[in-house]
Order: sequence, then C-alpha cells, then structure tokens
Amino acid sequence: MDTPARPILVALGSEVRALRLIQAAGRLARERNAPWLAVHVEAASGAIPDDLEQVQVWMQEAQRLGAGVQTVSAPTLAQGLADLTRATHAQALVLGRSRGRWPWARLGHSTADELQRRGLDADLVVLDDPPEAAGAERPGTPFGATLGTLLVLAACTGLAWLVPREGNLSLVLPVYLLGVAVIAHRWGQGLGVLASTLSALLYDFLLETPRFRHAAEHWPNLLFFLAMLLSAQLVMGLLRRLRLQAREVQRREFHTASLYLLGRALARSRTPEEIAAAAGEHIGRAFKAKAWLLLPREDTWQALPSPLEDPSLPPPSELAASLDLGGRQGDPLEPLPLGGAFYLPLTGTDRSEGVLRILPREAGGLPPRTWELLQAFAAQIALALERLRWLEEARRAQLERETERMRSTLLGAIGHDLRTPLAAIHGAAGTLLLPGDLEDSARRDLLAMIQDESERLAHLLGDLLDLTRLESGVLRAQKEWQPLEEVVGAALGRLERREGPLPVRVDLPPDLPLVPLDAALMEEVLINLLTNARRHAPGGVDLRAWSEPGCLALEVADRGPGVPEAFRERMFDPFVRLPGAGEGGVGLGLAICRAIVQAHDGTLTAEARSGGGTAFRIRLPLPGEPPALPEGAP
Amino acid sequence: MTSGAGTPRILVVEDEPALRRFLVPTLTGQGYQVLTAATAAEGLALARSHNPDLVLLDLGLPDQDGMEVLRQLRLWSARPILILSARNQERDKVRALDGGADDYLAKPFGAAELLARLRVALRRTIQTEAGETVVAGGSLRVDLARREVSLEGRPVHLTTLEYRLLEALVRRNGRVATHAQLLADVWGPGGAGNTHYLRIYMAMLRRKLEADPTRPRHFLTEPNVGYRLELDASEG
Repeated sequence: MDTPARPILVALGSEVRALRLIQAAGRLARERNAPWLAVHVEAASGAIPDDLEQVQVWMQEAQRLGAGVQTVSAPTLAQGLADLTRATHAQALVLGRSRGRWPWARLGHSTADELQRRGLDADLVVLDDPPEAAGAERPGTPFGATLGTLLVLAACTGLAWLVPREGNLSLVLPVYLLGVAVIAHRWGQGLGVLASTLSALLYDFLLETPRFRHAAEHWPNLLFFLAMLLSAQLVMGLLRRLRLQAREVQRREFHTASLYLLGRALARSRTPEEIAAAAGEHIGRAFKAKAWLLLPREDTWQALPSPLEDPSLPPPSELAASLDLGGRQGDPLEPLPLGGAFYLPLTGTDRSEGVLRILPREAGGLPPRTWELLQAFAAQIALALERLRWLEEARRAQLERETERMRSTLLGAIGHDLRTPLAAIHGAAGTLLLPGDLEDSARRDLLAMIQDESERLAHLLGDLLDLTRLESGVLRAQKEWQPLEEVVGAALGRLERREGPLPVRVDLPPDLPLVPLDAALMEEVLINLLTNARRHAPGGVDLRAWSEPGCLALEVADRGPGVPEAFRERMFDPFVRLPGAGEGGVGLGLAICRAIVQAHDGTLTAEARSGGGTAFRIRLPLPGEPPALPEGAP
Repeated sequence: MTSGAGTPRILVVEDEPALRRFLVPTLTGQGYQVLTAATAAEGLALARSHNPDLVLLDLGLPDQDGMEVLRQLRLWSARPILILSARNQERDKVRALDGGADDYLAKPFGAAELLARLRVALRRTIQTEAGETVVAGGSLRVDLARREVSLEGRPVHLTTLEYRLLEALVRRNGRVATHAQLLADVWGPGGAGNTHYLRIYMAMLRRKLEADPTRPRHFLTEPNVGYRLELDASEG
C-alpha cells in the first residue's frame, strides 16, 4: 500500500456501550491494519448533554488501546460525524444504536439513519446493544402464559357476571383492572396489552348481553374503562422498569463484589498456579463454570490447573490470532466459542499473557449479560500475570546486575593478584640476567623470591579454577564412605611436609562413623582452614570432630583475635579479606571451602569461640547407613 | 640392567617447551642422560630405538592421548613410567596408574620432588632384581621373607588382611598404589568396589604402625587416588 491506510472512526458518547464500540473499532483497525480515531461530538442540539468526565474516561481507554482522539463541536451529532468522516477520509465509522427505552438512547439510531441518508463514502458499522432485557423476563411457555391470561380474563368475566343485573357497571372495572395487573405482572407486558384489549372486547360483549343492555346507554363508562386499563398499563410499565433497575443495581453490586474478591485473591498470588487457582475459584462461583489459564509455551499450551483434557485445542499462534482479529462478527465482548468451551484473551498493558478458557457447567453456556464481567475478570487476571512476569524480570535483572558487579570485582582482584607476583618474578629474573656479578646471597634471595611468587601464582590459579569449576558445577564431589581420620591425616601430613610441624591439637573420637565425602576436596578445605587459622592465630589450633544425629560435625578452632560479627558471613565471599589481615592469600580460600562443603550438601559457618578466637564448623550429612563392614573388622 | 655406562637414560615426552627447558638441565645436572620428544609419535619412536630406563610422560600431548602412548609402551616395556598430570585430575591419574604407569607428578612440581620420585621409580627396577626382602624406614621394619613387622624394635601383631595390605604397599616400595590395585592385591577379584574396606584396614594399620595416626609419616593418603608407603621420610 503506497498511500497510508484510511482511518477508522469511532463515535463515543458517555454511555456504557462505548466500551463495546472501542473494542469493536480497535479490532476492525487491527484487522484492516489501519489507524483509528476516537471521536466525541459536542452537539449543540444534543437532547441531553453527555457526562464529559465519563467521555474522558472512554477517550483515555481508546487512547490506551492505540487510538487517536478528537473532540469536535457541531450543530448535530450526525453533522459532526459526517464532516469529520469526510475530512479524515475515513474508511469506516463505528457507532452504536440502542433499542433503549429512553428518548436520548435513540439518538444513535437516528444518527445512523441520517448518516446513511447522507451517502458517506465510508462503511457504517452500527452496533446494536445486546438484548440485555431478554434474559430478565420471567421465563414461561408462551402457551401456558396465554392460557393463564385467558383463564384470568375468564375469571374476571365470571366475577363481572355476578354483579347484580341492575348494578352499577363501574363495579366491574376494578375486577378487570386487577386481572390485567396480575397478567402483566405474571406474564409480562405483551400479554398485559393483549389482556387489556381482550378486556375491552369482553366489556363490549358484556354490554351486548341482555343482562347489561340498559347499561349500554352509559357509553362514557366504556371510555372510563379504557382509561383505567391504559393507566394500569402505564403503572405496570413503570413497575417493570423499576424492577429491572433494581435487578441491574443488584447485578452491578454482584459484579463489584466478585471483582473485588478476585482482585484480592490475585493480589495474594505469587505464582501462575496460585493465579489459576484464584481465577478458577472465583469464576466457578460467579459463572458456574470451570476455568483454566492457558499459557503459551513455544508450540503448545501450558494449562493451569493441568491437565487440560482437550487435544483439539489449536496451537498458541493460531488461537491467539483468532482471539485477536478472528474476523469474528458480533459483539466484541463475546468470548470465542470453540468446541463447547469459551476463550478470552488475557491481554496486559503491552502484550498477551495467555488465554482464559471457560467451560460452563450448565447447558445455557455464557449468556450475554455475563460477558462484561468475564472481560473484567480476564483483565484482572491478565494484570496479575503481567505483575508476576515483571517481578520475575526485575529479579532476573537484579541477578544480572549482581553477577556483573561480582564479575568486575573478580576481574579487578584477579588482575591485581596476578600482576603483583608476575611483576616480582619478571623483575627478579631481569636482575639475575644483568651483566656483572651479583653477590651470592642476593642471587639466592632473588631466586627464592621467584620460587615463592610463582608458587603463589600457581596457588591462586588453582584456587580460581577450583572455585569456577565448583560454582559452575563442572567439579562434583565424588563422595565415598570413609573415616574422617584419613582426610585429616592427609591434610595435616601434606601441610607439615610443606611447612614443618604445626601446633594443631587433634581430637577425633575413635568411634566416629564413616562419612561420605570427596577426600581430595575435603583435604583442600582442611588445608585452607588450617592455613588460615595458623596465619591469624599463632597460638595453636584445635581440630575436633563429633557425631550428631544425622550429621558429622568437624571444627577447626583458633585462639586468634576473632572475626568481627559483620564479617563472619561476608568473609565467605570471594576476594573478601579481613581488614588488617596483612599479606598472603587473596580471599579465595574460604569461598572455596564453602563451595566444597556445599557440594557435599553440608554447611560451613564461622562462630565466635567462647574464650576468644574463631571456630569454623563443618557439618556433613550422614545419609542413611554406611555400607557394611568386612568380617573381622572391629 | 641399566643401559650404557651406569647412567640411567630418561625419555621426556612433553609438548610444552617451557617444561622441557626446565626438565632437561635439571636431569642432566643430576647425571642422567636425557632424550626429549614433543609428540606421542616421536616419543614412541625414541622409546623403541633407545630403550630408556624411565619415561616421563605428559598425558596431554598434541597428536595422541598420553594414555594411548602408555598402553603401547606397556605392550613391550616393563620399565618405569612416570606420568606428568595437572592438579585435580585424579580420575586421569587413577586411569594411568591402573593402566600401568608407576607413579605420577602433579604440575606444578619442584625439582626436589621430581628427583625424589625418579629415584624411587628407578630403585624399583634395581631392587626387583636384587630380591631384597627387608625394608625399613624410621622406626618401622618389615621382613617380607619371615612375615615379621616391628616398630621401634618391638614386634607388632597384624591380622592376615592387615599384613597383606602392608605387603602390597611394601612391594610398591614408595610408589603410589591405587585403590583398585590394593583391593585386587589384598581381597582378590571380589574386592573391587569396596573401597571403604580398604580405608578401614588402612586406618587400623595406621593405628598400629604410626606414632600419630592423624599425622601419618609412612602410610600416606593420595586423596581419591590411593596410598603410598613412604619409608624415606626424614624423622621430624
């Protein structure tokens, strides 16, 4: 299309039906891929001025759905719409028409007709109000109602017959009045009118009978009679309208209450499952129907509550399309019927969140008077789903920021900790290569420094690799049942061979149970904890273990200066060093320890030791029974 | 029988030039003859043509898996093979040891550690030939011919299984023994998989033969790999 699509206009007043008009126009605009414009005409000759505030609400709603808005002043509504249609070259004009009872409600009717007469170059889409009152009538078989009417009239005539021959005919009137009132009340206005007419005819007949012959001269009586019947009709009409209004108020109250209850339940929901449960409960109560949420998952639907025993359900892309455009005729509030169930789109503020599937429990399906409330329910559910999605997105963004921050901290720390030993090694090697003699002791110093620094580098790299592989799950604990003593021995042995005798007091009860652990990883933990303790607490270290119900506890405790409360948890984060910890270590040791213990499903905590110092406590779970011991073992 | 005029010949199969640069002067400085190969193919060819007394084999070679080189060497040579492997790769170590390697060195390693392992590995060949039956280290003494064990001169009574475990370790003479090897030596084919048996007997051996079982000097644990009996340990 080279030229921009011609717009679609929708005429809005303050009436409730504007919501339907907006939805219909929006749907038409999407279908034809055209812009749309919500128009309000301030007519100079308008019978009753529109509630401008309400108009504003509808205009905003249209704007939210993507419409442009415009307000024009014109002598009449039809004039204004016609002018604007021509001015914007609109391809279609959507407006409403009610079969309302009030004079001003027929305005649309006349406007539509008048616009048609003007011969506009645009499609006129006229929406009739749904036959809302139809369902409000008391049901009854037409045959039974007619029979009842006839019986009542017959009874009235019988009563009239009892009036004494010379009696006043006006006595008959209240009898018929009562009969017609009963009929109109019981079987509706239509039969009421019929009954009035029949009463008049019967009355005529009565006058023809010899019994009342002389009364025929009182023809004004007939006039009186007719006036009475007419007034009865009027009263009945008013009564009926009042009754409808009362019912409408009741219905609104019910709507408000059920929406409130649903909203409260949704606000408490934290998962899609909970939303589905809340929706199911409240829809079940308000519409006598079962409800499912269908959430699109790639090419299929995830039904909540599952399972959804309906294999005929079209895939998300198709169903969403038919819900969105559909080429559906009829009322835009009507749910899409499909194989016995009804479907409503759950559209949030910016995108579709899923579909609501309703399966009525009763044969009548979903009568039109429920559509509006259903749509309101759907809107609430969609908003709840959207809220969850946003929460999830916010949480993910938070996590990403956290990871990003962590990464940059890590990079900074690694950069520093790698560069320092490298610089020392590089410098020392350069000095050693300088021409000229270097004193023997200085040469040895430099060489020793190269060795120390490269060991530090190797250690740091090893730690980094371990931590990365532990956290990414590449490195898994290969657990085997074994005595704790062996791991303690391996760790102590390795440390002492490397650094000479250690002031470690070991207290392992001989009857400790076997524990499943990865010996290499747990040795790493012990070496880290013992090295730490030795670095911070020269006074000596206590290593002891004991068994607790369901787990084995191991403690490495020192008599050092202790760890400030604020650091007791933080020091397990990578690259966190205690203030004043001095040289050595880059702050990875404890992070690795915790990662390893967690890979064993255990816990590692630091606690203040009574009497001063810090106690690192490891708890390893003892799942089930250790394997059987060989025969002859103690 | 050692080759040449009593100086052991060592083949280094290692693709990293930096490590070769470190290994060659270290080894020649100790009086070994050194051959180097940077690839598996080159290493296998040199091994065939020169029949070295010991092979230092890196598991990560560019052209072939080091395990495959080990397998092919073991088809015809019983000479000691030392594996160079990265830290934390216990699975590879165990595979190499069970596949016939004598011992391993985890990178990074120092010159002292390397030379100590070399001596242990070379001694194996010498000792097997000498048929020596008494080994001693520190206060521990084991007489394999008379099946006697003593600690600080006092005889120690061991159960049959404990003794078989000790014997299996002694026969390796300082080299590491994997769990699978020890289980097979002590319990026979039925012992496979029952590593916790082994650990319990090892704990009992330590209680009988170590001064402080939580600081073992002789019965060393190689975590997730196996055990090593260290008799050369200097008494601290």
